[in-house]
Amino acid sequence: MSGDRKMRLGAFLMAGGHHIAAWRHPLAHAQAGVDIDHFIELARIAERGKFDMIFVEDAAAIRERNPDMASQAARSTAFEPLSLLAALAVNTSHIGLVATASTTYTEPYGLARTFASLDQLSGGRAGWNLVTSASELEAENFASSGLRPHSERYERAEEFADAALAVWDGVEDGAYLPQGGSVFTDRAKLHPVHHRGKHFTVEGLLESPRSPQGRPIMVQAGASDIGKELAARTADVVFAASQTIGEAQAYYTDVKARLAKYGRQIDDIKIMPGISPIVGATEAEAKAKYRALQELIPDAVGVALLASYLSIQDLSAYPLDGPLPDMPETNLIQSRQQLIIDLGRRENLSIRELARHFAGARGHWQVAGTPAQIADAMEERFSAGAADGFNVMAPVFPSGLEDFVTLVVPELRRRGLFREEYEGRTLRQNLGVGEPAKR
Amino acid sequence: MHLGLSLTPFGHHPAAWRHAADIGNFGFDALLSQVARAEQAGLDFVLLADRLGARPIDDLSPVATPFEPTTLVAALATKARRIGFLAAAATSQHEPYNLARRFASLESISNGRTGWVAVTTSDNEGREREYVDLVGALWDSWEDDAFIYDKQQGRFFEPSKMHVLNHRGEHFTVRGPLNVNRSPQGKPVIAQFLSGGSKTLAAHSAEIVLLQGRTPESANETAADFVRLLEAAGRQRQDVRILANIVPIIAETSEAAQAASDALRFDEADRASQPLSASRLVGTPAEIADSLQQWLGHGQVDGFTILPPTLGMADLFLADVAPELQRRGLIGKTKAGSTLRDYLGLPRPAHPAATWERAS
Repeated sequence: MSGDRKMRLGAFLMAGGHHIAAWRHPLAHAQAGVDIDHFIELARIAERGKFDMIFVEDAAAIRERNPDMASQAARSTAFEPLSLLAALAVNTSHIGLVATASTTYTEPYGLARTFASLDQLSGGRAGWNLVTSASELEAENFASSGLRPHSERYERAEEFADAALAVWDGVEDGAYLPQGGSVFTDRAKLHPVHHRGKHFTVEGLLESPRSPQGRPIMVQAGASDIGKELAARTADVVFAASQTIGEAQAYYTDVKARLAKYGRQIDDIKIMPGISPIVGATEAEAKAKYRALQELIPDAVGVALLASYLSIQDLSAYPLDGPLPDMPETNLIQSRQQLIIDLGRRENLSIRELARHFAGARGHWQVAGTPAQIADAMEERFSAGAADGFNVMAPVFPSGLEDFVTLVVPELRRRGLFREEYEGRTLRQNLGVGEPAKR
Repeated sequence: MHLGLSLTPFGHHPAAWRHAADIGNFGFDALLSQVARAEQAGLDFVLLADRLGARPIDDLSPVATPFEPTTLVAALATKARRIGFLAAAATSQHEPYNLARRFASLESISNGRTGWVAVTTSDNEGREREYVDLVGALWDSWEDDAFIYDKQQGRFFEPSKMHVLNHRGEHFTVRGPLNVNRSPQGKPVIAQFLSGGSKTLAAHSAEIVLLQGRTPESANETAADFVRLLEAAGRQRQDVRILANIVPIIAETSEAAQAASDALRFDEADRASQPLSASRLVGTPAEIADSLQQWLGHGQVDGFTILPPTLGMADLFLADVAPELQRRGLIGKTKAGSTLRDYLGLPRPAHPAATWERAS
């Protein structure tokens, strides 16, 4: 690894915090999920830390079917990501803004237009995390026919991504108000889309200048084989969930190895696994912070969350202190499911322990320790071919992000691992991924 | 009198860009500055009309705002915090759940200052009506006091105050509930442009009706016809604000205004340009105020949406006409309340659960 390679950092935002019980913390702002000024503050903290991007996840549905269970967590309502990031765009100046959006329940022209709008509002700082929406609850908000199979969703996603790219490429730089001033647009620089595919027909142009960064950044988190292939072909950034360094290295190597066949270089994709850091002045303080949060998780909520990620209706039939039952592979997020099963077997965890462990960071890597210990853990993976950077999932907002920015970021800088200043104004410039070919 | 400003980068005249051919007018800051002036002048809302949902096919329009309306509103609402926003979105371009969610999110961002201009393009009135009713029902997924944030008991919301819709209609199947809180103003305001096919639907569901006629008289006739439809639909006149589009052409003297109007002939007819058939009001600031005052007193119109032909005319309206309307007590110096419904004097819709309880 070259000496001047810098770590990429994303701030994964979520109302009160990533920890499932964060909202119950005495310091937590319980109404954070509907408070735009809370999110503006979080974005500014992350920007002060010179993070590459903020990131928000998405589901077009509530996340838990059982109302009693759902009512014990803060995950049933949230801002819609694109409107949230549009609001944050004009209250920040350098940080990237990555929103999750589904290819299964939207149309390419409308979604491409909305991301182009976010890109214009932010001066070229938008990114799209492409997902195919694996939950039954989402499917039920859009059709009576139920959740489409994984392979079918990805087939649609492939065509969707191509159509969206074509829409973004429809207007060249300099198409508006060309020199001379006698015409409003230079028709030679307009390339209306005529896409006719299996899933979509897209005709027309975006009513918008070309993005200052060429196109929005493409992000993906798919970990199935078909998902990794789509990422290798189209993504600039890949988010991942890996528990151990071995898993992270295997994933990293696998995705990077797929790039060559699409004529892409190894650095054209930045792989950024999630990390849930719990920062303390001492290790004991960090562990105490973590325990205090864990104690706020009602067993029912933890187990229900575990069941939902395992894609099974109910775990309550099994003893809480026993192991996970054997279960069939489902049509849903296969990779996440496997990760949980592996974690349970590897560490010999009961359903209760696994639920608590998992609920804390929802399957992502958790590190509780001093700033130096957290920096050590990040540096190890960064230097060992397991990560190009990290998507930081603070357990509680704003304090968890504030701690990371004031304590861990300076430590990463001392080690020469993280930027002192933003390199550019667009997300593409700051990430250091190539400009798409100009049209 | 209720007043709104229709937002464009250069003005509504198709050749307005020639007078201000600066790409800077395309940017967010320039649009925000228009909104801030409208807010300062005491207007109730700005309108993002979005070419009535028409997509550009092979060329781009100088009267279109180069942002998608809902994302633009989200951004503007954080910077201009005392004015409402109406954003057009076509029922043909969004799934009902996604549209309901986007506007509910705008309501959280703006603290209840937004409205949806429902652009219907299908001739299938049954579909359009099911769509609009479904969106309204999704906005009632949560009761106003559903969220209790009880940290001690670990109860974030009261489960009985979440309502799963389980809608299975002829055109849409949506389980619900919406994953966004009920709006601070109950629900976003529903607005519609009044056009041939949409009148019955507007009479059924619109709370703001935007209409236009070449003259105030023809606009008044359209308004009167609409009021008859409204009453036939069993709704009250006071539950709807009827606003006429106007194109103001303002100068220091009547003669100068007439000359400006002559210079702004719409000979480059652009069929996508909405204001071509809106009433032109030509005169000094006082004369424009007179015209508006008289119009308001004679007919069914509750106010106006300003479609300035150029940015200069927008500035003249906000700097000279609006203060004149304030002096006459026709618009308030400060706005009552904090939501778009407050600004327009529209009632806050009660959650239907109140009715269910009475019925049971």
